[in-house]
Amino acid sequence: MKKYQLGEFEEIVLLTIAILYKDAYGVAIKEEIEARLARDVSMGALHAAFVRLENKGYIKSRLGEGTEDRAGRPRRYFQMTALGKKALEYSRQTREELWKAIPKISLDLKIIVS
Amino acid sequence: MEETKPYPPKFFLRFFRGYCHPRLADDIEGDLIEVYRKRALKNGKRKADIRFAIDVLLLIRPNIIKPVNGYQNINTYGMYKSYFTIAWRTFLRSKGYSLINISGLAIGLSACLLIALYVHHELSYDRFNEKANRIYRVDSELKFGDNHMNLALTNPLFGETAKADFPQIEQTTRLQWYGSFLVKKGDVNVREGNVARADSTLFDVFSLPMIHGNPKTALTEPNSIVITESVAKKYFDNTDVVGQTLTINNTENRKITGVIRDIPSNSHFRFTSFVPMIENEYANEVIWAGSQNWATYLLLKPGADAEGLDPELNKMFDRHLGPEMKSVINKTLDEFKSQGDYFKVSLTKLTDIHLRSNKIGELYGGGNLQYIYIFSVIALFILIIAVINFMNLATARSAGRAREVGVRKVMGSLRGSLIQQFLTESFLTCLIAMLLSIAITFSILPLFNELTGKIFDVSILLSTPVMILLVSLTIGVGLLAGSYPAFYLSAFQPVSVLKGSKTGNVKKSFFRNTLVVFQFSASVLLISGTLIVFMQMQYIREKDLGYNREQMLILNNIDQLGQRIEPIKNSLSQISGVENLTVTGFLPVNYNRNNNTYFPTPSLDIKGTISMQQWTIDENYIATIGMKLIEGRNYIKGKTDSTSIILNESAAKFLGGEDILEKKLYRLIDEETHTITEYRIVGIVKDFNFSSLREPVKPLAFLYGSDNGGITLKINTADIPSLLSTIETQWKSLAPDLPFEYSFMDTDFDNAYKGERQTGKLVTIFATLSIFISCLGLFGLATYVAEQRTKEVGIRKVLGASVTGITTLLSKDFVKLVLLAIAVATPLAYYFIHQWLQGFAYRIELSWWVFILSGAIALTIALLTVSFQAIKAAMMNPVKSLRSE
Repeated sequence: MKKYQLGEFEEIVLLTIAILYKDAYGVAIKEEIEARLARDVSMGALHAAFVRLENKGYIKSRLGEGTEDRAGRPRRYFQMTALGKKALEYSRQTREELWKAIPKISLDLKIIVS
Repeated sequence: MEETKPYPPKFFLRFFRGYCHPRLADDIEGDLIEVYRKRALKNGKRKADIRFAIDVLLLIRPNIIKPVNGYQNINTYGMYKSYFTIAWRTFLRSKGYSLINISGLAIGLSACLLIALYVHHELSYDRFNEKANRIYRVDSELKFGDNHMNLALTNPLFGETAKADFPQIEQTTRLQWYGSFLVKKGDVNVREGNVARADSTLFDVFSLPMIHGNPKTALTEPNSIVITESVAKKYFDNTDVVGQTLTINNTENRKITGVIRDIPSNSHFRFTSFVPMIENEYANEVIWAGSQNWATYLLLKPGADAEGLDPELNKMFDRHLGPEMKSVINKTLDEFKSQGDYFKVSLTKLTDIHLRSNKIGELYGGGNLQYIYIFSVIALFILIIAVINFMNLATARSAGRAREVGVRKVMGSLRGSLIQQFLTESFLTCLIAMLLSIAITFSILPLFNELTGKIFDVSILLSTPVMILLVSLTIGVGLLAGSYPAFYLSAFQPVSVLKGSKTGNVKKSFFRNTLVVFQFSASVLLISGTLIVFMQMQYIREKDLGYNREQMLILNNIDQLGQRIEPIKNSLSQISGVENLTVTGFLPVNYNRNNNTYFPTPSLDIKGTISMQQWTIDENYIATIGMKLIEGRNYIKGKTDSTSIILNESAAKFLGGEDILEKKLYRLIDEETHTITEYRIVGIVKDFNFSSLREPVKPLAFLYGSDNGGITLKINTADIPSLLSTIETQWKSLAPDLPFEYSFMDTDFDNAYKGERQTGKLVTIFATLSIFISCLGLFGLATYVAEQRTKEVGIRKVLGASVTGITTLLSKDFVKLVLLAIAVATPLAYYFIHQWLQGFAYRIELSWWVFILSGAIALTIALLTVSFQAIKAAMMNPVKSLRSE
């Protein structure tokens, strides 16, 4: 099976883009992540992730209309590609396999120790 | 509407625009502003401003900022990038050529770098002194009768008198060898060499920083001593030792009054301890003619004119010399001068002492300016040879590159950019070569240190001057090596090139051949130079010196034995294996020396005066050292021989030669009381060499007496170690407090010529390198020619040519070039080698076969290099070479 390179933060961004679907642009994605995960997202990290995801072919983008809120600057909307979807699925699947592979005892053990 | 909404700080917005990738700028800026406005509403403008600034700064990321090159076409970055790409591809395509080029250049650069380090160190002597350009040494020159002496010394009072007489002299100081002494360390005595007597003003003149102690008073009291850091560490493991005492020679105690930093290796004196000059009772003697024993330095005031001072100093000297001369030899100074004799002083710049002054009484042996020139020339040769390789290979390959140039020109390339492309290639080659040469130099520096006896630290490679040298060499070589191919190749006409008429490129081979001839001329020059240097060194080693230096054991510390000298002498002579022994410090290899003047008449006439060495020896000396008595007799034990004198041949010749035995010589013992001693010549020994072989044997006289400067044993044994241990046992039982120290005369002799041998080795190594680099180039050219003529060779083979025939055909051209080079180089080599040999009084005859041999060596090496390729080409199966097309 082909490998999909997907970092942790990239995965979150990709998922959020999928959630927001048609409304996925910079600020909206930022706010969505901040709201859902209760973590601060810097503009730099976010946009760097966009560029990386786009270079990997997991998302594509188009420029939208400019609004007054943004002093006339256009919004860039992102959309997940089929490859991006595969990457997400692959990531999820490998996680589940790993979870399944954990022997019961090691989970139990943790309880005893704590 | 927009004005009502808050707007982020302009500066950061503009800054963001400045670095952001243009494709992303609009949209990210939109995001930034949107977030900013939301924040401004919620937290106020100030906080939003700060957050905005942070966001902008955090956006500086590799993916977001503008790429450094290649995005916009308003600059020529792209073109440069392309030059590098093309250069790199060219390297990879022709790995062999690139390897030859780069390794040749790298070796050449490293050799240059090493030589530059060496030369720079030699030129840097004494420049560490802050007042170096104001310090002068007073030298004297004396001519009387047929004696002529150049001394690096002067009389005791010269400096002080001059300072009192001339206001432009700021300070004066004197140095004098003390020799060595034993220092007590725990229970044992350790010999400490390099001890000097110095005036208390030493530290005013020379920059010898004192770590502990007061430089003003350190050398004012008797029985004090100033030592260097490493001596202090040796005896105390500590440098703060002012006030402590050192036990010298088992008896005297010296108080340490100062610890100075170690004297740098590029100083013309490298003493490790200084004792006060005032201890020497002769140091303040009023004597102007008789005692030239002090190295005297003058520190002039800033702006003082040294050349103008010179005649003034001589006038002063004459004023004091006049009366003394009258009283001693009963002659006025004018009478002395009217006979064509003179006694004068001169000033030598401190910075000239190491390389330009080689007089009698130099504190330490100096360097040789000649070698500086020789090495600089070799460095230049090596570099030029490497550059020529580069140029030759580039032009030789031009046939192949010509098509590339043609195609590029057709596609619209300008000549300028083609030139740039070729230059980029040569610069890249040089750059790689430079990096490689740093690595090479780095790894062979320890070896080089061992070879030259200098101490270069590895860190010197990273120092600014070396870096500047390297970078400028790289740029220089890059330009030099790259310019010819660049201008030559880029000038091709695309039409003729693409038609294929230029591929023969016969015309330009003239230039290439000239360069090859030059290369090999340089190599032949270096080969013959190396041969001669080697032969001369061998000659010196094996020359009959007039004495025997094999199996001669010299014992030290004899002067400390005192009364025990007789018992030791007796017990040593009992040991089997010891053939003979003599007690004296005067030996043909560098030990004690003592110059004196003898007069032919009791009235002390200058005419016929002879200045010569006067050595005190015992009756066993001549037999032990293995000298030959050619006339007269040896000293006889028990007989009163105290006024008998034995001369060497040179002295006898000087005094007239015929019937010299029983003639009388007179010597002035005391100037004040005018005591004169009469000597009778009783014997003549065959000349033997007691100073450098660069000079002819000088007159010398033996006097009978006792001198406890050393014991020399003539030993005869196959088992030297066991004999040594026997002698050591004897020594230990009779003198347990003194260290048993010895040396062999042949090693001492070899050490005296260490400098020459080191130079010989260095020249050999660099000559080999230059020949190697030349051959690399020749190998490249031969490869190229063989490739070019593949088809021709194939056809010839098909038509029945033999392997020998083809090999000859391919090698012929190169052999012609090398022969021409030999013809060019031989007269030059003859001239330079002749000049060098003139420096030796004893030298080999320059014979023609040396040049034939060096020519033959060059030719053989060239042939081997070329024929490898030629034979390879000749052996190739013609089916293969002719199959394509």
